[in-house]
Amino acid sequence: MRFITMDVNKCVVCRNCEYACAFRQSGDFNRDNSNIRVEYYDDAKIGFPMTCLHCDDTWCLEVCPAAAIHRNENTGAVEIIGERCVGCKLCVLSCPFGNIYFDHEHQISRKCDMCQGEPNCVKFCISGALQYTTVETTYQNNREIFQRFVRSLQGEA
Amino acid sequence: MQIVIIGNSAAGLSALEAFRRVSRESSVTVISKETVRPYSRVLLPYYLRGKTPHSNLFIRDKDYFKEHNAECIHDRVVKVDPKSQQVILESGRMLEYDRLLIATGSSPVIPPIPGLNGKGIYHMWTLDDAEALAPYYEKGGKVVVIGAGFISLQAAWAALYRGLEVCVVELMPRIMPRVVDEHCAQVLTNRMEEMGIDLRVNSLTEKIERSAFGVFVLHIKGGETISADFIIVGAGVRPNIDFLKDTDIEIDRGILVNDRMETNLPGIYAAGDVAQVPSALRPEAVVHALWPTAVKSGRIAGTNMAGEKAIYSGSLNMNVTQMFDTTVASMGDFIETDGMESWTDENLPKDQYFKILLKDGIPVGAVAVGGPDLIATLGLLQPLIREKIHVGAQPDKLKTIVAQNLAQHHQAFIK
Repeated sequence: MRFITMDVNKCVVCRNCEYACAFRQSGDFNRDNSNIRVEYYDDAKIGFPMTCLHCDDTWCLEVCPAAAIHRNENTGAVEIIGERCVGCKLCVLSCPFGNIYFDHEHQISRKCDMCQGEPNCVKFCISGALQYTTVETTYQNNREIFQRFVRSLQGEA
Repeated sequence: MQIVIIGNSAAGLSALEAFRRVSRESSVTVISKETVRPYSRVLLPYYLRGKTPHSNLFIRDKDYFKEHNAECIHDRVVKVDPKSQQVILESGRMLEYDRLLIATGSSPVIPPIPGLNGKGIYHMWTLDDAEALAPYYEKGGKVVVIGAGFISLQAAWAALYRGLEVCVVELMPRIMPRVVDEHCAQVLTNRMEEMGIDLRVNSLTEKIERSAFGVFVLHIKGGETISADFIIVGAGVRPNIDFLKDTDIEIDRGILVNDRMETNLPGIYAAGDVAQVPSALRPEAVVHALWPTAVKSGRIAGTNMAGEKAIYSGSLNMNVTQMFDTTVASMGDFIETDGMESWTDENLPKDQYFKILLKDGIPVGAVAVGGPDLIATLGLLQPLIREKIHVGAQPDKLKTIVAQNLAQHHQAFIK
């Protein structure tokens, strides 16, 4: 499947992706409405674009008590069905990466849906940090990757 | 192989789906004591508030059981006979099983208050409860909510939102003792009172009288009286285990299971609110009666019943809800005990609050009241709590710690 890769070495923190996403979502350039966020870490001197990873082991989808999260079979994206969401925020609490946001106007959760296969953030990325690429192995946020991530945290401590 | 699942809410459904992911073959029967399609009780207060329509309460399609090659029987289990491996139903029907999942959930505790029964007095636990309450919420008037726990307050918020007069009567000195810490309770109490809730703590309801006009009068210890057009009772829940009393199944506060959701009886599994499951935080098993725990434990049970091996990483208590125009959430431990350090975000305005508890530099839980951004940050803690990750003395650097390590190891971040 295809998904959005994020290259921390190329990101120049221009925030075009945030503006592009916000515009696509809400028709204005309020970055609070963006489903992609760039954090700049001064100590490490890196820009860190972050959006939904559309995990295989999908904690938000599994836990949603309203059956309002599903996987789009065409794009592989994990999507929120706005009409079903009640805004309970269990998905926001369940996401271990902080990638689900809240739509204050409609009082429901919102997240990246990969723009139905044409991600606007990638289109407007000026540095090539964001790429919409095809991966050979099914992309996984499975236990294995997670455990590796966790081990690295333990190593650092 | 014959599979029987008792219960068709979070744990039962999740088990059926997990089972079918592994095996399409065995015959599966799901027994539900309710006569409707699977619905979500988490949504009931949102339905009463008018946030979501009745049709959205149902969380699986009409063809769901057919698609999962399962039969759903609407009946009540009266007995399980582990020797003959049979389940006996109220209708007299008997079902044989090779593997049985008990996912019967829990029922509201009824406090021993004289007069606490009959029309006009409800819990908010089942679809029937919500459907009975809906006309009252429509009509307006005054509701008294007995209990100030998580579900009670959601009912109170829904009523206030719909323009009803709301009084909350709590036995304990403060609200939500099992979900948030004292400070968080105070922040929320202030908010509730500002918004017009008549909140009475330290108040024991001694008896309830019903006048000829259908109005209730609650007599509070000390002599006060409160009138109400209808009453909602929320005094906690207890596991549905009565039908197991003639068996040797091991029960403590719930049915005891190991990390594969197996009970002490061969071929019998338990999951969801009825089960006492391993904890993510400590050796003692827990009954959390929470939707996420039911989903996860159900999935583990279903996978194991189908012959694959799945190990439960333990239940981590998680609560979140939108109420009184703010968001309240907690995870893991939220009240300091010996040897814990606490970190509080000092930059937040007075009506918001975020506290993380750590033990030897490892986060063990957190509590938050405020905007959704706080809830997202709280979510970042889940893996750290579960995997016991040291974050040192700087929980405010949490996002940096998570992000930098993620960048190094996640496939999505190309180096």
